Amino acid sequence: MLQINNLYKNYGKFKAVKNLSLHIPKGDLFGFVGPNGAGKTTTIRIMCGLMLPSAGSVTINGVDALTHQKEIKRQIGYVPDFFGVYDNLKVREYMDFYGSMYRMGSREIQKLSDDLLELVNLSDKKEVFVDTLSRGMKQRLCVARALLHNPALLVLDEPNSGLDPRARVEMKELLLNLRGMGKTIVISSHILSELSEMCNSIGIMDHGTLVASGRIEDVMDSVFGNDQLIITLEEGRDTAVRIANEHAGVKVASVGEQELKLTHSLTKQEIAGMIGEMIAAGVLVTGFHKQEGSLETLFMRVTENEEQKGGTENAVKSSH
Amino acid sequence: MRLNPVIKREVKVQSRSMKICWGVFAYEMILALVFFLAMAIIRQENQYSTNNIYSSLIALYPALAVTQLIILALIVPVRTASAISGEKERQTFDIMMTTSMTPFSIIMGKVMTAIVQSMFFVAASLPVMALSFVIGGMSWSYLFWFFAVALLMSFFSASIGILCSSICKRSVSAVIMSYGFYLIFVVGTVLPIILASYLSSYAYTSGNASSGMHRTLGGVVYSYEENFFLPLLLNPVMYLVEFFVRVMAGESLINDVTSTTGMWQTSGPINLVATGNRWMILSTVLFLMVSFLFLRLAARRINPIKKKALRRVTRKAAKSISPQDSQAGQPRV
Ligand SMILES: Nc1ncnc2c1ncn2[C@@H]1O[C@H](COP(=O)(O)OP(=O)(O)OP(=O)(O)O)[C@@H](O)[C@H]1O
Ligand SMILES: [Mg+2]
Repeated sequence: MLQINNLYKNYGKFKAVKNLSLHIPKGDLFGFVGPNGAGKTTTIRIMCGLMLPSAGSVTINGVDALTHQKEIKRQIGYVPDFFGVYDNLKVREYMDFYGSMYRMGSREIQKLSDDLLELVNLSDKKEVFVDTLSRGMKQRLCVARALLHNPALLVLDEPNSGLDPRARVEMKELLLNLRGMGKTIVISSHILSELSEMCNSIGIMDHGTLVASGRIEDVMDSVFGNDQLIITLEEGRDTAVRIANEHAGVKVASVGEQELKLTHSLTKQEIAGMIGEMIAAGVLVTGFHKQEGSLETLFMRVTENEEQKGGTENAVKSSH
Repeated sequence: MRLNPVIKREVKVQSRSMKICWGVFAYEMILALVFFLAMAIIRQENQYSTNNIYSSLIALYPALAVTQLIILALIVPVRTASAISGEKERQTFDIMMTTSMTPFSIIMGKVMTAIVQSMFFVAASLPVMALSFVIGGMSWSYLFWFFAVALLMSFFSASIGILCSSICKRSVSAVIMSYGFYLIFVVGTVLPIILASYLSSYAYTSGNASSGMHRTLGGVVYSYEENFFLPLLLNPVMYLVEFFVRVMAGESLINDVTSTTGMWQTSGPINLVATGNRWMILSTVLFLMVSFLFLRLAARRINPIKKKALRRVTRKAAKSISPQDSQAGQPRV
């Protein structure tokens, strides 16, 4: 669906995006994650034809996005991070205006905008002036507007910024809904926990580079390696270590006073069996839990590494 | 042909706000002021004469027309100067650029809106203007010509405004810049003549008047200075003066000038353009061309995907594909 190859963007000397390559299959809900200034907005704006890259290519549905602007504009619906609305314009007219910019007939616009306003829960606001809507409503209206010409790809730049928790949940529901309709969606955010609930693939950006990308599970695995299991116990630590070591595919990562940290590649049944063995051997197990690699720690870990790299680079540069 | 969505929206929005009503009100007030002033002058002049005062009402025509054209020249650039920069300030510009609208049709939409609006004002002045036709007995065709000139000047002003709007980030600076552009057209086109008269007086005092100041064209000697009148073709004030002199006095100012300065006898370029209607026609065509040029430039400026830069990127992309790759893959179309 969306293919980006070796994308670079320089603002003068500053390199905002460096050698970014990415593939997003049809029907994916892709989350762009990264700290402030990572280059997410820059990448998104290039995707939407609002900016030329310094080098590289963007292909959407097999069509070169840079040279075929006209076709691409019909394929993409874009919700910017910051946007405004016109004064003195009603919601219905707002939709009408953007519909006619896509050369749609007024009857077609009427029908589609009715459906879309229903979808984003704004049907009762049709005759309300857009500038009087709340922030969350404007955001949803903008999504409806972006869908008006029935694009295959919907791109949202930080749609959750400035929304209250309830509006966020609604936005998430809306996006999942749209994904169910077969739209490919790209969304950027710094709020990772939200992305993990709805995205099926993510790309982590930092300092202009895509540090990791792919299906959410794969990205987590590649960073954390195997699953971790933490066993807390009162007595028989050494026995527990011995039993753990007897199992193939289990490695003792660290041994604490009353805690054992294991990395493993076992199934759930095998883990249960192993813990049963330990208890049978007289180890007083007081508890055990799986350590989930949270997206936050993943994020910190990935961007941390980058920071160090960037730091050393700068150090090298400054020493010259 | 379908209506440009930009025009549709802006007209709708403007009809909702009270601003336009106050605008028309102010416009009419100014015209009324000019009207009473002109009437007072006409009365004064005819106080002791037995002339038919009604035919003097013809004088209302230039007075009101010039007033309107000046107001339009001041207002229209302001309207369009905020067109693009206003969209940017309102943060609606990016969304607009991701729609199917081409940059040129966006620019056209904005310019047309400004023209429709200025024509709205002109139409509002009709009742007062009509006096010089109904009572003054002036030919109705001049009303048509006034509309045509107002249209042309609005278009020209609008295109200056929109170009500045596409250049400047902020509306305020765009407005200032468009007045600057005006100044270039009004004052800048006169400078060559001033320069020429300075040069010729210099040539006269140094006694070699014939050496540098004369050229031949097709074997006929003509004065070199007269070419300095040509930029006046793009002077809006000159255009209006010529128009009103033609309407009111039935003669051409530029013909007068060229004949009194002695250029009339020669056959240089100035005489080619200054005979008959040619000056007005050529001037009109030039104004239209410059306006279109400005619109094109504005459209180019707001287009995020500039052709030249795009070619650079695609060339780089073509180069980065290694020879084996391009042979193995399908030929790129
Ligand atoms: N027009 C510009 N001119 C110069 N530098 C720019 C411009 N736009 C962005 N940058 C720089 O490029 C870098 C990437 O910016 P970008 O807006 O893409 O980041 P982002 O990931 O969207 O950040 P955020 O999460 O804050 O929105 C930043 O360091 C920014 O300073
Ligand atoms: Mg951003």
